[in-house]
Amino acid sequence: MTGKPPLDEVLALDDLHVTVHDGAATAVRGVSLSVAAGEIVGLVGESGSGKTLTCRAALGVLPKGCAVARGTVAFERLDVTGLSRRGWQRLHGTGMGAVFQDPASYLNPNLTVGSQLAEVLRVKQRLSRREARRRSIELLAAVGLHGPERVFHQIPAELSGGMLQRVMIAIAICCGPRLLIADEATTALDVTIQAEILELLRDLRDQRGLAVLFVSHDLAVIKELCDKIVVFYAGEVVESGPAAEIIERPRHPYTQALLRVASVGDFGRRELRVIPGQPPRVGADIAGCRFADRCQAAAGECRSGPVSLVPLSPAHQARCVRATDPELASSTDSASPGGASAAAELAAR
Amino acid sequence: MTAAVRKAGATGTAPLLAIAGVDVVLGRGWRANQVLSGVDLDIWPGQIVGLVGETGSGKTTLARTIVGLVKPRAGRVVFDGTDISGLRGAARKRERRSGHVQLVFQDPLRSLDPDLTVAEIVGEGLRIRGGLDAGQIRDRVTGALAKVGLDATLLERAPGQISGGQRQRVSIARALAAGPLLLLCDEPVSALDASNRNYILRLLADLRDSLHLPIVIISHDLSSLAGIADRVVVLYRGRIVEDGPVSRVFSAPRHPYTALLMASAPSVGDQGGQRLSVRQLRRTSADPPSPDGEGACVFAARCPFAAAVCARQPPLTLTTVPPGKGAVTTPADRWTAACHRHREWGELASQRPEHPQ
Repeated sequence: MTGKPPLDEVLALDDLHVTVHDGAATAVRGVSLSVAAGEIVGLVGESGSGKTLTCRAALGVLPKGCAVARGTVAFERLDVTGLSRRGWQRLHGTGMGAVFQDPASYLNPNLTVGSQLAEVLRVKQRLSRREARRRSIELLAAVGLHGPERVFHQIPAELSGGMLQRVMIAIAICCGPRLLIADEATTALDVTIQAEILELLRDLRDQRGLAVLFVSHDLAVIKELCDKIVVFYAGEVVESGPAAEIIERPRHPYTQALLRVASVGDFGRRELRVIPGQPPRVGADIAGCRFADRCQAAAGECRSGPVSLVPLSPAHQARCVRATDPELASSTDSASPGGASAAAELAAR
Repeated sequence: MTAAVRKAGATGTAPLLAIAGVDVVLGRGWRANQVLSGVDLDIWPGQIVGLVGETGSGKTTLARTIVGLVKPRAGRVVFDGTDISGLRGAARKRERRSGHVQLVFQDPLRSLDPDLTVAEIVGEGLRIRGGLDAGQIRDRVTGALAKVGLDATLLERAPGQISGGQRQRVSIARALAAGPLLLLCDEPVSALDASNRNYILRLLADLRDSLHLPIVIISHDLSSLAGIADRVVVLYRGRIVEDGPVSRVFSAPRHPYTALLMASAPSVGDQGGQRLSVRQLRRTSADPPSPDGEGACVFAARCPFAAAVCARQPPLTLTTVPPGKGAVTTPADRWTAACHRHREWGELASQRPEHPQ
């Protein structure tokens, strides 16, 4: 990270709070993060940790009943938090694009994929019919689809999940956005296809300088792809920093636990590890650290008051009162469940 | 559950399930699509068999064929000594109601009835089968829930009121309540995060050990499967391309597709230096054209090592076990692969560039 010139900041979230159920509960609490041009930032955490709401707030498409209660969303250094619907629509496609988990549900099953891609180009860039078609075929080829002329005339049902996700990426980048938000974009794909999509995202970053915010619950996928990692737990950022540093020297006990349960690239018979306990309810009010109840290193000070992010290096920070404690830093491989059977451990929950 | 143990003890050498030469065609006329071709698969008691392959490879169709939801066009499915592929009418109904083979589905939120309570879901099959009074059903239900580590406080909850990991355990409890001899799990952990995924897999491993229950797990997560499975079966476009003990297959795969699946699996650790990279196993435009005519090897079109010999589909044949790794001692140790060049491609792959030029 050091030695490189400062990067252009494309997206910056500052102290973002998102409430759900018409303000009854706060699901995202004080999230700050930034994504620069040519950088892939990964958000990782369990389901319900607030990753998707954070993305939707950044895209200005929060579901009904949800609102940004505090904090700001800045796109290319411009505060877009209170933008009107028209304003967001102007940004969508041209400034920022998005890809989600289930590509088939975002495409009209009755229209050819080519017509749906060309439509975006005609509306957003006012291209002629012929020009939009030519550009669409170029884009389908650019996202690695073989025989783009044939694909242009196919309907979604004729394409595989991996091909549809490539079409969605083509639609997301067709108007040259600077930011791509991918929410669980490879979760439903086969591993071989997932590897190809990750490669495509890397190429887009390198060749177009695209900024990518990539969300996944799978730390292994995040590690393969991202330059920076942001770990979410129960609506908060608990650790963030350069990918290599987070993987090699995780300082928050939750990140350490995620690493223990992730795929390790080992294909041998082994003890599969689990994180005991359940995350707190969405919006639960907890005085101290939100992970304390599941943390093996938790002490009295963890529960007494709010824990703030502790800077560990210029780019690395962790929300743990013991973040600088050398004993905690080395505990990545300790705390083995000791071969207890799953049923015994489940019963203890 | 005692039934499972008794049967397993009685049939020490014969497989519990023997599938031979199964072809399955879905749809008719111009829509007809051959989904499985010449599938041979034996399953012994007390084994976890991992069934891997990509979308459309026929994993789910194979599971549906085993439970009798799909009728094969050719071949036999022999379960516990009875050919169940040819059963009709009352005999078929009797076989289904016996509950000998149970399926667990991928997405418990969709496969469990949202309007029923956990107790009703787990006991529903027993009620339909008949022969048990309400008290006996209640006992079987709480017994099955205890086996998956859920306590009786959840009995009156609806599927929507419990967590994803708990829901999948309810699906497994529902299957166990029927007293199965074989459990088929179709992508049981794909919808779960890593911690819950490991919970469920460990639970299945415990069930194998404590009940001697054979379990087939369909999954595309090779690494976590490797943690608990005894055997792995790799399907590619309706054919088994490799089948063998997990420890051997994953230490030196004999089919290039198995190697590609392993190389594609994301991991937080560094892949060992000897492992081949995706680049070495994926076809590029620079590779010579591969045979693609009728009857060619199903993987030839994606295989960088395809040669003239690959114009003919290779049969699943025994691979030789490297010296020092032990010989084939039991039928369950058999290791087969369907590749003409299974002795040569490894060497060719290691000569290919690891990174793009």
